[in-house]
Amino acid sequence: MTNRLRDLRAQRGWSQQHLADQLDVSRQSVNAIETGRYDPSLPLAFKIAELFDLAIEDVFISPSKES
Amino acid sequence: MFVATGRSKLNAAQRRYLRRFLPAMLVYSVVIMVSGNAIGHHRVSGGLLIALSIAPALPLLCAIAAVGLYLHEETDEYIRMRAVIGSLGGTGLVLATGTIWGFLEQGGVLPHLPAWFVFPLWAVGLGLSQWVCNLRDRWSGGAE
Repeated sequence: MTNRLRDLRAQRGWSQQHLADQLDVSRQSVNAIETGRYDPSLPLAFKIAELFDLAIEDVFISPSKES
Repeated sequence: MFVATGRSKLNAAQRRYLRRFLPAMLVYSVVIMVSGNAIGHHRVSGGLLIALSIAPALPLLCAIAAVGLYLHEETDEYIRMRAVIGSLGGTGLVLATGTIWGFLEQGGVLPHLPAWFVFPLWAVGLGLSQWVCNLRDRWSGGAE
């Protein structure tokens, strides 16, 4: 599933490790989500969206809406 | 069960796993030597023979329980998924090897493979799967 996590993180000047610490996950997890190799669970997706103060669909792109 | 890479630190579940798994393997290495020596060099029989024979399995059961507890306690869902994939890799290797070996053994091509071999073989499969996951993580790039 495509997401904007890398862009959102870059806008805030955060490292992957900093984001991982905020989310209480490993840096590998952040990397896997950013590169689309792992789709987070709904609770983790909500946690990510809330951290950026965005709606979940503003961070994660629905597969049905991808061109 | 898991592979700590680079600067990554062990999380609480991983530290608990090591605190359970490593002592179990230490006890196993002592018990296997003691029981092997006792059975090989002394005339033991009956209940004592059963006890000495089963003794090495007990710390291994603790090690297996440590793996199960780790999968239950790991809160990082991606790391847990990787551990589950590793476990499936180990299970797949055991099933494939057991199936192939069994038929070759039945045909007289290969000697009998002791049943205790499944755990070390499972661990090899787990390690190989984790290694592949690590390579994939490294090649995927994006790490900062």
